[in-house]
Amino acid sequence: MMGFFRQVGVVAAKDLRAELRTKEAINSSLAFALVILLMFSFAFDPLADTTREIAGGLLWIVFAFAGTLVLNRSFARELPNDCLDGLIAAPVSRAALFLGKACASFLLVLGVQLVSLPVFGIFYNVPWTRQFPELFLVLVLGTWGLTVVGTISSALTVNIRLRELMLPMLTYPILFPALLGAMQLTAILVAGNPIGPGDFGWLKMMVGFDVIYTAVSLALVETILVS
Amino acid sequence: MSAVAVDGVWKLYGDYPALRDIRLEAEPGTCLALIGRNGAGKTTLLRIIAGFSRPGRGQVRINGGEPRDTATRRQVGFLGHGISVYDELSALENLTLYGRLYGVADPPRAAREWLERTGLARVANGLVREFSRGMRQRLAVARAFLHEPRVLLLDEPFTALDDKAIGVLSGLLREALAAGKTVVMSTHQLREALELATQVALLVRGQLAFHGACTPEMAADPGLVYARYGEG
Amino acid sequence: MGERDLFYIPLGGTAALGAATALTASIGFLRTRDFRFDSLAHAATETSLAFLGAAIVSGCFVIHSATGLWWTWDARLTAALVCWLLFATCLMLRQGVEEPSRRAAFAAVWSIFACLDVPLVAATAAWWKPGKALPIEWTWPRLGLLAAMAIAGGLFTAVRARHEDSGCVPPVD
Repeated sequence: MMGFFRQVGVVAAKDLRAELRTKEAINSSLAFALVILLMFSFAFDPLADTTREIAGGLLWIVFAFAGTLVLNRSFARELPNDCLDGLIAAPVSRAALFLGKACASFLLVLGVQLVSLPVFGIFYNVPWTRQFPELFLVLVLGTWGLTVVGTISSALTVNIRLRELMLPMLTYPILFPALLGAMQLTAILVAGNPIGPGDFGWLKMMVGFDVIYTAVSLALVETILVS
Repeated sequence: MSAVAVDGVWKLYGDYPALRDIRLEAEPGTCLALIGRNGAGKTTLLRIIAGFSRPGRGQVRINGGEPRDTATRRQVGFLGHGISVYDELSALENLTLYGRLYGVADPPRAAREWLERTGLARVANGLVREFSRGMRQRLAVARAFLHEPRVLLLDEPFTALDDKAIGVLSGLLREALAAGKTVVMSTHQLREALELATQVALLVRGQLAFHGACTPEMAADPGLVYARYGEG
Repeated sequence: MGERDLFYIPLGGTAALGAATALTASIGFLRTRDFRFDSLAHAATETSLAFLGAAIVSGCFVIHSATGLWWTWDARLTAALVCWLLFATCLMLRQGVEEPSRRAAFAAVWSIFACLDVPLVAATAAWWKPGKALPIEWTWPRLGLLAAMAIAGGLFTAVRARHEDSGCVPPVD
């Protein structure tokens, strides 16, 4: 068991080191997030009350799109020099390989989100810091769901033509339950209101989604990588 | 027990049989040269032996174990067409990474040792992206040998190597064979391969046309095997 | 209730049966690696997609005759639309992978992912728009229609699967 988590750590550290050295994915992801935020500001008057109500939902559209740029790189970074062969040949369980990559992507996507959040707060003039601990929890739950499904999709589409198009097409429909839950909760929290008992269902949905899809991904990743 | 045992392996891509009923064995301490024209199925077979893909039928055993098992993978060193090292990491970082993945004791020290042995000690901290082709190939060789594998699977290893790298690889392979390790090497560079080979297997369009000892006449005239058993 | 809404529930029900078939066939393929399961899963997914598409269109007509609008984000139709997208992505994935055994393995994995999502999607849509979906009454005409459509869907699937099988890997001797 310790060996498993050690392997997860080695893979995650490798991905993070490679990404932080080139910063290709996070730079493009961050730039994309800011551009979309800007475009939404043109489409929906940022200072209108109606916009403040939907702001939470808009935020997750930004996160989902920008996150895809990072997730696409997850297995795509193994293509040059046939590095994926090296990882598959290594005596590392495929589940550890998947989890390591998912953890690295999770941290990168969360990083992009935490940088985008203050910008969003300023553009839309919303009191996002008021319920920050709960907001952070929703960010973590939603981002983990996005990351798990996105990483499995990255493994599936790594050798497919039109990979950059296929990954979002595969990921977003599956994410509908988690994304909707995240949007509902974020809309409440970003407006500075606490989560009421009526909204706990969404929280449970997000946790359930994360648990189910993490388990299924860990179970099926071997089939994808060795076929 | 054979080091590598391939028993009745078929591989089908849709209707197309890439490999048909392959049966061969390699004993410990021997070097099996897999020869054949392009498209004969050498890479397909090697990748099945290494555990990258499943055979449609039949089975492969490496030292009695299933190639996809973790314990078996620890004993295998694979050198494919790609170098399998990361451009954005340094040579030392790459080897340390593989050392950790393979459970090598003291990965940084083992990494430095192998950089010495492959003549890359001076560029240990250089990013692979900046290496010449020959240096990249030598790093790939270091990566494959780093964890002291008992079985080495090499896919056309002498292709695209410069003279220095060929020297390094040949030396390492001779040492490995002398130490009782097993080498299975696919190649169409017959001369270098047949110098090292103890066994030869000829694949013709997915089928085994010849499998036997490498005789001195074969080593002297590499085209002999093709002429006698192949399609000319 | 008008005559038209006789159709969309049985259409959706048949699609659900198709999805369950696809799920079972996908699991079957992953356990046995028998390509006949892959053909069945592919055919069942296509059938589900067709019936679900018809259900959605039919549902739009029902809503239009009741409210004058073509789409009201009714929980059931929203869930149906998302599920339709899920199955469409399964078929899109198949198109993108050329090698047959990889294609079958990937499609099986993705079918499992998609089918697991169906109950989550249904629950989510129901919470999102609570109280808007009318309860389903299982009248005899509806049940009869469901049975007829299920049989039609089953036949269609079987023919499609057989058609694919013939292009499949022949048994080797």
